[in-house]
Order: sequence, then C-alpha cells, then structure tokens
Amino acid sequence: MASNSSTPHDASNGPDRAAVRDRLRRVTDPELDRSIVDLEYVDEIEIDGPRVALRFTLPTAWCSPAFAWMMATDARDAVEALSSVETTKIVLQEHLHETEVNRGVNERLSFEAAFPDADGGIEDVRAQLDEKARVARQYDAVEALLEVGLDPARIVGLRRRDVERDESAGIAAIELSDRGFTATAPIEPIDRYLEKAKETDIGTHPGDIFFRTPEGAPIDPDDFELVHRRGRLAQVNMSGQGGICDALNESRRARLEGDD
Amino acid sequence: MYHHDGDDIFVIDSHVHLWDASEQNIIHEGGEQFIQCFYDYHTSFTPEELQWDIDEYRKYGSDRMLEDLFGNAAADMAIFQPTYLTDFYDEGFNTTEQNAELATAYPERFILNGTFDPRDGEEGLEYLEELDDTYDLQGVKLYTAEWRGDSKGWRLDSEEAFRFLEKCVELGIENVHPHKGPTIRPLNRDAFDVKDVDDAASSFPDLNFVVEHVGLPRLDDFCWIAGQEPNVYGGLAVAAPFAQNRPGKFSEIMSELLWWLGEDRVLFGSDYAIWNPDWLVEEVIEAELTPEHRAEYGVEWDLETKRKVMGENAAELYDIDIEEKKRAFRDDEITETFELADHYAGGEPAAAD
Repeated sequence: MASNSSTPHDASNGPDRAAVRDRLRRVTDPELDRSIVDLEYVDEIEIDGPRVALRFTLPTAWCSPAFAWMMATDARDAVEALSSVETTKIVLQEHLHETEVNRGVNERLSFEAAFPDADGGIEDVRAQLDEKARVARQYDAVEALLEVGLDPARIVGLRRRDVERDESAGIAAIELSDRGFTATAPIEPIDRYLEKAKETDIGTHPGDIFFRTPEGAPIDPDDFELVHRRGRLAQVNMSGQGGICDALNESRRARLEGDD
Repeated sequence: MYHHDGDDIFVIDSHVHLWDASEQNIIHEGGEQFIQCFYDYHTSFTPEELQWDIDEYRKYGSDRMLEDLFGNAAADMAIFQPTYLTDFYDEGFNTTEQNAELATAYPERFILNGTFDPRDGEEGLEYLEELDDTYDLQGVKLYTAEWRGDSKGWRLDSEEAFRFLEKCVELGIENVHPHKGPTIRPLNRDAFDVKDVDDAASSFPDLNFVVEHVGLPRLDDFCWIAGQEPNVYGGLAVAAPFAQNRPGKFSEIMSELLWWLGEDRVLFGSDYAIWNPDWLVEEVIEAELTPEHRAEYGVEWDLETKRKVMGENAAELYDIDIEEKKRAFRDDEITETFELADHYAGGEPAAAD
C-alpha cells in the first residue's frame, strides 16, 4: 500500500528520506491520535534537492475536510522544519475536497479562506481533539507511574518540576524531595503526555499540576479512579473510531484495486 | 428468537428502516452522496459473501425486509426509526409514512416511531400531533444533522427543540432517539455532537433518550453524559457489526458501555439495511469479551446481559410483554409465512441459525 518511490534526482543537497519520514511520523490523525505514517496514509515522498512533495490518501474520499486540512498543514510544517528543506508540496489524493485542500495548503491560505462555506475556523476543532488526545495519553502516563509504585494521592499532587526527564537513560525520574520519594518510569508515555500537555497549555510551568481532569482542573484524590477511567474511555473512543476508519480504508483499497 | 446453548434470546431489533434511495427519488446530490456513504459502511462491516450490490441496496422493498428480519427468526420484533431527509429525497428517505406500510400490516411485529424537526415550528408541532393521532407513537427518531434549506442542523438543547420535547411529554411519547453517530457525507460532522443530549435529558427526566450509535466517534462524551443521566440509553447500531470483523474492538466498546451505563441501558440495533440482522444477531450474541477486558472492567457478556441488550431493555421502554409475544408468535402471519411455528412452539425449538 504505502510505498516510497526513489527519485532519480540527485538528493545530495536535500534531506534524506529517513529524516523526512521521521518528521512525518510525528504528524497525527487528530481524531485518532495516531501517526499518519503508521496509519499508512502517506503514499509517496518525492525528494528533489531541497524540494519535497508528499502524496497522501485518507481512508475515505469524504473524510472530514477539517481533519484533512490539519494533517496536510502539519505535514507541511513538520517537513519544512528540516533545515535542508526549502519547500514542501502537499498532494492530497482521492478526496472530494482535494482541490481546496491542496490549493489552500500550498498557497498558505487560512482554512477560512480555503473553505469559505465552512462554519467557523479550525482552531476550536483542533483544541478539542488535542484535549481528548491529552486525556488518552494521560492514561498511559498514569499507568506507568502506578506500575512503579506511585499511589493515586501522589500522582494527583505531582507538579511539572517533580518530573525529571533523562533522555539518554530513557527514563523519567519522579522526585518528591520534600517527601523523600524517588521513582523512575519509562520515558515514552511521559513524553507522549508532555507533548500533548504542552499543546493544550497544561504543565508548562514548573509549579503546574501535572495531571488534570478532561476539563483541565486538578484532580481531587477521591475522583482519581473516575478520571483515570475517563482516560481509558478516551482511548477506547479513538481506537473504536480507528476501527471504523480502518475498515472503510480496507474496503476502499480493495475496491480501488478491483477497479484496475 | 436466537437459540443459544439451549436458551432462547428474544430479539428486538431497535433500529430498522425501509428506505428508498432509488435514483428517481433523489432530488439533490446530497441524496446520492448519502446512500453511497451508507454503502461504504455496509461493505466495510459486512462479510464479503453477504454484501448487497448497490442497486438492491438503494431500494429493497417490504418483502425482502420481512424475509431478512424474520425469515430465519433472527429478529422477533423491530422498531422503525425514520430518517426524512426530504431536502435530498423527493418522497423522503424513510419517513414514518413509508415505514408504516409494513408497521401497520404487521403491528404485532413492528413498533413505528415518528419524528419531529424543531425548525418546522408550529407546523411541525401539528405534524407531530397528527402522527401521534394516526399511529399512537411511543417514540421519535431525531436527526439533528439533517439539512433543511440553508440550515445544516439543529440542537436538542435549543429552546425550539424543548417545545417539541414538551409536546412529547404531553402526548405520552416517552422514547426519544437522537442519531449521534459517525460522519455521513455530506452532513456536517459537528451536527452529530452528542453534548446537546445532556441538557435535554436532565430537563426532561420523564423521557428516555436513546442515543443511536452510542455517540461514535464521541463515545467518551456519550458515556460521560450517560453516566450522569439515568434516562440516557445507548443504541448499538454501528458498534454491533464490529463483532464480525473487529472483535477486539467490539469487546472493548461493549465493556465500556456496560461499565458506564450498566446492562439495563444498552439496546441492540442493526440499522437495517446498513447491516442485516440475519447474520448480525448471531455475530453479536456469539461475540465474547476478551479475558483482559473482563478482568479490567469487571463486566460480563453473559446470557442475562445478552437477553437484556438484545430484547428486554427495548421491551421495557416500549411496554412489550415478551412472554405474551412468544405465545402470540406461535401462529401469527409472519410465523405462517416463514413456517416458524416449531420455532415458537417451545419445548424442542427448531434451530435458527
């Protein structure tokens, strides 16, 4: 399905494919909070010197234009963050609104300018989905801390400064010096949580309470279990929707192949 | 009835349609997009050998519907949930009147729900009364994402909608089924947002709100609301066919629903003809929760739960006496037509597979 064609052009002054892919891996389907690379949306990466073109296809021709827009702009921005890349061209394929999305993204229009008929901008939608992704990721981070022996009361009281990342060791150290407590957890779920927390303006200051309810408030210790359940629920919602997209994608690909 | 390990499960399919998406009925490109989108859902979640072709899918007619629902006794009863979409379809996609063709011919087998659209104002209130006069409604199906002129949808917590809900209370129409499900082209995704159910449900404690499609892709919002509002229920249409090709996800979604809502507030529905109860009922009843999910959530998909979800919960909402129905179905017209007398005879039941 997803293929990377190699281009005959000399790529010596451009990025290497692995670097582009690595940037794209960080771009998520905002509704599923999964990488567009893992979801196999990326069909082709063309590299021509410092110019990169990305072709991608979504599970259905009628996937939300707002989501298509977010993925297209995020992919563009992620690849252009590489210093060896000058321009990135986005080619959304087989989508009912591919013309509007491609034109808008490549001409750097705003969503409202590209879709004058849409009610409202894209930022509210993005903020809501980011919040859900944060809650889902919080579940994994909290599980990791429970696993290494932190109790719920300590977990809800954690502040940003209590969490020390050690990237080389691949761990996050939890240090509650005033209470003489130290634990180390795997860094991955903590980092994933931190990434979304940052995007939702949570835990950016050292004194900030680290984990929050889906509404963004600190967690009452009595509500720990319920809030944790809501995190799990957010995951199930995303993976359920992922199942729908995935099944639609499967049958669409089968049909497209059958038509050939 | 489904015979499961020697036990009977009485099945009320709480979500069926008799629709017409034939080309001559389509008057707006949205109508074609809508049926094509439905067809995508159909093919994506139906075993390949049981998929229909698009032409039979557009309009299947009442004979085929009876055969699909009752031919192998997959369902014992069904509830019609109309979807008007009169901006897209000349005669409507499946209106109360269209569904009434079967519902009034076999009143013992069907419940006929009506609908309202608050954008219709006074006329809409009169229409609701008229439907109730004609069909003695017990429920309404609501489609908040429906296009009407320039409007791309409405909200259940609006002042206008509340007037209609008050009318429901006055008329004794107790069951309200808002459709809150996956995006259907060309309708606006946000018009399926489930949050408006919250205020409506707490403002009308005497009404039952059965959220069709359990809010997917907003299962989280739905479960959270349902956890707080005891009169909110979940209709399984769309989640049910996961049992067939995404069993792990079916197990997970069902576990969440049973954890947040309990076994008394989840209702089976096929969404016929998107999916067909003639295979779907078996898939759902034979589905299992994974040991991991059972341990994590502490819930069971056991005989008692299956009986409730597949029939008893809907029977409770629609005042259906299942034992009386079983007796009546020994020799009603459907039983004669499909030779189901042995099936309903009790004692040694014939297999319904």
